[in-house]
Amino acid sequence: MSTLNISGLSKTYSNGVQALNNISLEIPKGVFGLLGPNGAGKSTLMRILATLQEADQGSISFGDLDVLKQKEELRKSLGYLPQSFGLYPKISAEVLLSHLAVLKGISNKFKRKEMVKALLEKTNLYAHRKKNLGGFSGGMKQRFGIAQALLSNPKILIVDEPTAGLDPLERNRFHNLLSEIGETAIVILSTHIVDDVKELCTNTAIINQGEVLLKGNPLELIKEIEGKIFRKTILKKEVKDYKKNYKVISEKLLSGKPVIHILNEDHPGNGFSPVQAELSDVYFSQIFDH
Amino acid sequence: MWLEIMIFELKYRAKRLDTYLYFTILFLFSIVGVDFVYQGVDLGEVKTNAPYVIAHTMAVLSCFFMIITSMIPGVAILRDHEHEMESLMFINPLKKRDYLLGRFLGSFIIVCFVFSGIIWGMILGESMSWRNSDALLPFRMMPYIQGFLFVVFPSIFYGSAIFFTTGALTKNLIVVYTQAIFFFIVLMLSRTIENSFISGILDPFAFAPIQHAVNLWSVPQRNADLLSVDGLLLYNRLFWIIIGLVALGIVYFRFQFIVVKDKSSKKKSPQNPAAAFAPFNEIEMPDLNIKFNWKTSLVQLSHHSIFYCKTMLKEASFWAIVISAMIILLINSISLENSYGISSFPRTYLIIEELQEMSIYFFLIILIFYSGELIWKERTIKLDLIYDALPISDFVSLAGKFIGLMMIFTILTLSLIISGLIFQSVKGFYQFEIELYISGFFLELFPFLVLFSVVSFLIQVLLNSKYISHLMVLLFFILVLIFDKMGFSHNLYQFGGDNLSSYSDMNGYGHFLIPYIYFKTYWILFVFMLFLVAVVFSIRGKETHLKTRWRLAKQRFNASILKMGLVSLILFISLGSFIFYNTNVLNDYWTASKKDNYRADYEKTLKKLTYLPQPKIIAVNLQVELYPSDRDYTVEGYYLLTNKTNQPLQEIHIQKRIDPQAKFEYLKIEGGAKLNEKYKDYHYFIYELDQALEPGDTIEMAFKQSYITEGFVESNPGSKIIHNGTFFNQDYFPTLGYNSSYELESDQTRKQYKLEAKSGRVDRNDPLELQNAKSGDDGYEIDFEIIIGTELSQTAIAPGVLKRKWTEANRNYFHYKMDQAIINFYSIVSADYELFQDQWMQKNDSLERSVQLEIYHHEGHDYNLHRMMESMQHSLDYFSEQFSPYPYRQMRIMEVPRYVKYAQSFPNSIPYSESLGFMMDVNDETDIDMPFFITAHEVAHQWWGLQLIAANVKGRKMLLESLAQYSAIMVMKRRFSEDKMNQLIENEMDRYFLGRANDFNPEVPLSEVDKQDYIAYRKGGINLYALQHYISEDSMNLALKRFIRDWNGFGGLLQKERYATSADLLEYFKVVTPDSLQYVVEDLFETVTYYDNKMISGHFEELADDLYRVDLELEANKYRRDSLGNEKMIGVDDWVDIGIYGEGEDGNEKLIYLKKYRINEGHTRLSIEVNWEPLKIGIDPNHVLIDGDFGDNFIEMVRRD
Repeated sequence: MSTLNISGLSKTYSNGVQALNNISLEIPKGVFGLLGPNGAGKSTLMRILATLQEADQGSISFGDLDVLKQKEELRKSLGYLPQSFGLYPKISAEVLLSHLAVLKGISNKFKRKEMVKALLEKTNLYAHRKKNLGGFSGGMKQRFGIAQALLSNPKILIVDEPTAGLDPLERNRFHNLLSEIGETAIVILSTHIVDDVKELCTNTAIINQGEVLLKGNPLELIKEIEGKIFRKTILKKEVKDYKKNYKVISEKLLSGKPVIHILNEDHPGNGFSPVQAELSDVYFSQIFDH
Repeated sequence: MWLEIMIFELKYRAKRLDTYLYFTILFLFSIVGVDFVYQGVDLGEVKTNAPYVIAHTMAVLSCFFMIITSMIPGVAILRDHEHEMESLMFINPLKKRDYLLGRFLGSFIIVCFVFSGIIWGMILGESMSWRNSDALLPFRMMPYIQGFLFVVFPSIFYGSAIFFTTGALTKNLIVVYTQAIFFFIVLMLSRTIENSFISGILDPFAFAPIQHAVNLWSVPQRNADLLSVDGLLLYNRLFWIIIGLVALGIVYFRFQFIVVKDKSSKKKSPQNPAAAFAPFNEIEMPDLNIKFNWKTSLVQLSHHSIFYCKTMLKEASFWAIVISAMIILLINSISLENSYGISSFPRTYLIIEELQEMSIYFFLIILIFYSGELIWKERTIKLDLIYDALPISDFVSLAGKFIGLMMIFTILTLSLIISGLIFQSVKGFYQFEIELYISGFFLELFPFLVLFSVVSFLIQVLLNSKYISHLMVLLFFILVLIFDKMGFSHNLYQFGGDNLSSYSDMNGYGHFLIPYIYFKTYWILFVFMLFLVAVVFSIRGKETHLKTRWRLAKQRFNASILKMGLVSLILFISLGSFIFYNTNVLNDYWTASKKDNYRADYEKTLKKLTYLPQPKIIAVNLQVELYPSDRDYTVEGYYLLTNKTNQPLQEIHIQKRIDPQAKFEYLKIEGGAKLNEKYKDYHYFIYELDQALEPGDTIEMAFKQSYITEGFVESNPGSKIIHNGTFFNQDYFPTLGYNSSYELESDQTRKQYKLEAKSGRVDRNDPLELQNAKSGDDGYEIDFEIIIGTELSQTAIAPGVLKRKWTEANRNYFHYKMDQAIINFYSIVSADYELFQDQWMQKNDSLERSVQLEIYHHEGHDYNLHRMMESMQHSLDYFSEQFSPYPYRQMRIMEVPRYVKYAQSFPNSIPYSESLGFMMDVNDETDIDMPFFITAHEVAHQWWGLQLIAANVKGRKMLLESLAQYSAIMVMKRRFSEDKMNQLIENEMDRYFLGRANDFNPEVPLSEVDKQDYIAYRKGGINLYALQHYISEDSMNLALKRFIRDWNGFGGLLQKERYATSADLLEYFKVVTPDSLQYVVEDLFETVTYYDNKMISGHFEELADDLYRVDLELEANKYRRDSLGNEKMIGVDDWVDIGIYGEGEDGNEKLIYLKKYRINEGHTRLSIEVNWEPLKIGIDPNHVLIDGDFGDNFIEMVRRD
């Protein structure tokens, strides 16, 4: 199994926004989490990987394939689930999936039927297979999206914010599915939800404003900040002062009161208590400066 | 609030480029608006910026660009829906009224701005250098303002309102576009409605009302007067504005100010929680062995095509189109009618032509809009990211869409074919010709659809903007149309090439088919390359920037595209070369301007020789060998030439037919002659005689000419010498002297080449033309003999007695000889015929010889043979009894293919178009028997034209056509009921007024008529019939009998020094007309006189049993128009019929009183006693006087107690 190598990838939009800035990543088999806030450039990167956008600079290779040039070749091994998409409202799930299967190259009628059935079952859409896609709920639509992405047993599966429309249960099941696929293929998952990455990914990269801030195994990344995260519940009006004096990496509400996490080499005292480092702390500590 | 919304809309539109683009397109197009609309129309004396010309042009332009109203107000509401802005808009504290009103007004103001481009464009157009300043009035602003306010504004208002409404209510763009069909349906429907008022009201673009407003106007009036916005035009415009208001009312009441429609929320079925809980990963995925090879691509392509076809079939709009098309067809069936209101038999080719004509709009709408929808399909439903990452090739992706569209066309076609078949069955016509349907659509129409669909795809891909592309595709159509009309381009570079020529039962597609297929294949190869361009530029993914697309295109131009491109390029070039070899090497290709130039030079060089004394042909003896399959012939034989002048002739000028296919193999002149070839370029050869031809002497001119067809020509391959149904006349053989038929016809073109406007025939006292029976007349009382050889299956026919008929070397030979002199005018016809024959006995013929009557017709065309035969018999009866004996022993009608639309009388033979009498489905109850009438007209020419020979001066057509028309009317009168006669006269009157309304030149008196056929035929027949009505049939025919006796071309008493003119005829009329009616001759023939008669009131009282007194009040106005078309009222002092009607025993209307009254005041009261209860009273009830408004000639009677 080849790895996907991205090196020096840059992309600037015509309106001057630099979406990607010299990104280099090596993505092996398994689930790879692309973590970053909205607008970090995740979707741009994924679209470039999915042959839908051009890079200004840099290269991507997959085995012998030059992904940026040999798009048609790459598409044969690709499954892609975009962040948002629509479906033909007046067509049933089975028909559209079968049609997409043909376009994925499954020209054998029986194989196709088998595959469509398997995927519909896998995504729990089998009972709804005759139903027009116009009547699908957000979750069902998303599951259909997943089904189509898996149609040709892809070697590279790119899923952009896949769990956005799913309820927690569905999200869990989806994660199971991804990690199953990750056993045999490269799965690239973009998300801004830290837990997704924690639960799923063998490797991750945190990107923000088009740059890779950190990459590696999530557990190892957590290890690096182990013992450096402290927490304190404060008053709302104090937030400003704390932000001035400490490296506040996150701020959330607990029973209506702000709870802040800070990154500090040593125990700062002053009512702070140490907490178990989380991936989210890694994440927030990385995007803190940016 | 609505004001702010309106301003918001205005600002939104003002920022958008397409607003200005639409304006610019309209502006630029309007500059050539008049030129475009009146392309090929000779406006005559009417100026090109006359108010109604401007109004009509504006109507056409607003019709063409109505589509823009769908692009602006049509999407004003829809836009919020498409951009999913609705929820944001609707939660604002906004009233529905304000929202709708603001959006509508805002977008409508923009539409007005865009369409104002018409005004400025047309005004600028006036000052364009190509506009002939002689044909322009001084600039006036008013016609433009008026035209815009009354023609354009109401149209764009209701257009905007309707599109706005459908856009807001359906929130489906395609439905909005489908609306466009609505206008076509209404336009088509309005044209089929007989009631001219209703049809005028329904006309969505006011074409008919504009025409109606000026119908009765004289030329000076048309130039000077603004359209009067009253009557039909006013009602029409009001009607459509009301339609617009109704549409706005509907949107106000029906528009729902909520985002989620009830319907869809109800539809949502409850989720199945159990299913949702099943784990994701229990199922084993099947093992796939995906191979990407050409087979896969093929499967993908076919699935893809069918998939798109199916998605389009799910569009309600498509079915709306199909159903509309079928409805239109069924309603429009009436248009199988000809101008006499008689339907043709629903032969398949006629049905196909109707279907093509009707359905082309539907095909175009589908083509323009659905190709856009297909290109944008995935992006519209936002499936594009998934779709674009699929491993299908760019080619398969686009080709699938294209083939899907072709499938949709096929389905529409099949539904049209089915409705055609239904239509035929309903009419009880069961001669289905499925294969003809197939070829009619798939051979004639489909190549066109393929070509333009590719263009539409390409434009959509390249411009990457759906709406602008729609407009651009439309513009492309118009441009192609314009280039086509300009006609100077070779089909190798005129996009798409020519259409296939009309199908004929007799000749099939004939020789037109092969070149058509070559050209279409050539163009399909061309668009295939365009398609490849579209493929490499098609949007895939998110990159839409031009530079990136260019880079991507280079990347995507891969080996297989290159291969396909190269193969098609090679085929394209090879086929192009082959076509070029045929059209430009084997044959001569001349551009239109080269032809014009040549014709102008011909005239400039040779016109001076027009009246050069030349001998006349007095005998023709030919052997013609026809080879219909090869479209060749040879002719060998001799003419005898006699010097009829009083001076010796040194030269004989011979004009060979100007056609590179026609070649002399030899030409010998008895006594020897030296050939002078100085006018060789014009195929004009001067033979300088070794010995002068003395007055009265005769020499023989022997020649052989061959006519060989090689390969095919670029366009207009000629339809005379063809596979089945060859028909040509003596013009294909050598003629003597200058031939004015090669002169340029159009005055516009003549002016370009500095030639004077063509004046038409000369005045009636021109001594030179009085010697000529036709332009460049080169014959005189010829003896005629001909042998024609043709293919074994065909019969060849020429004038004369068939002396012998034999078969030799697998060819049929026919030897014809005229047993008396004829004019130099004969036809040669050859086809595979069936024969229908009968006899007719000449009553006053001392030898009691019979005349053989023959109708040669195509197999199966036997619907009206008995009508035509009966007409021949009745006509021969009437004419031989009333005018003079019939001079020949045969009378033949030969059916010829519908490439000619007429019948024509040659000595004892009448070639007769298959489209004319053979196909008419005459209903004896309701119709005039037109096959009878047309046949009678042609038979009458055996007298008027073939016995009575008219001099080639003004009024010639009165002697030929008006008299033939009169004669035919009189045969009809003898044969049919009075009702039918009234119907016939009424019909002729309508056609006269129609012709006059469409004429751009002042009307001339009948006796001086030249080119204006509506005068010669329609008014001629009516006025001669009117004279007969005044002076009696007997007196009239006595005059004609004397006229033809004295002026018979073969032994007439006065026919010595010159041929007859209309002035001569009028003398005969005056002799038989009493003094009190002499004014009638002047009114009918010597001046342009017409009436506006009107019955104002009619009362009656019962005086006693069966005695009633009628008091009536009428108004009679009489007008004259001078030679410039100025009209003035003249005093009335005329005999006019007053007719009174009552109820007959059978309950129908019955004429109870008819008498002529001398009316000498405009306003007249009369009292009449009748002995039957009167119901209705009419002035000039038989409509023998020219009266444009005949409807008010009648009034219902009121009983006075």
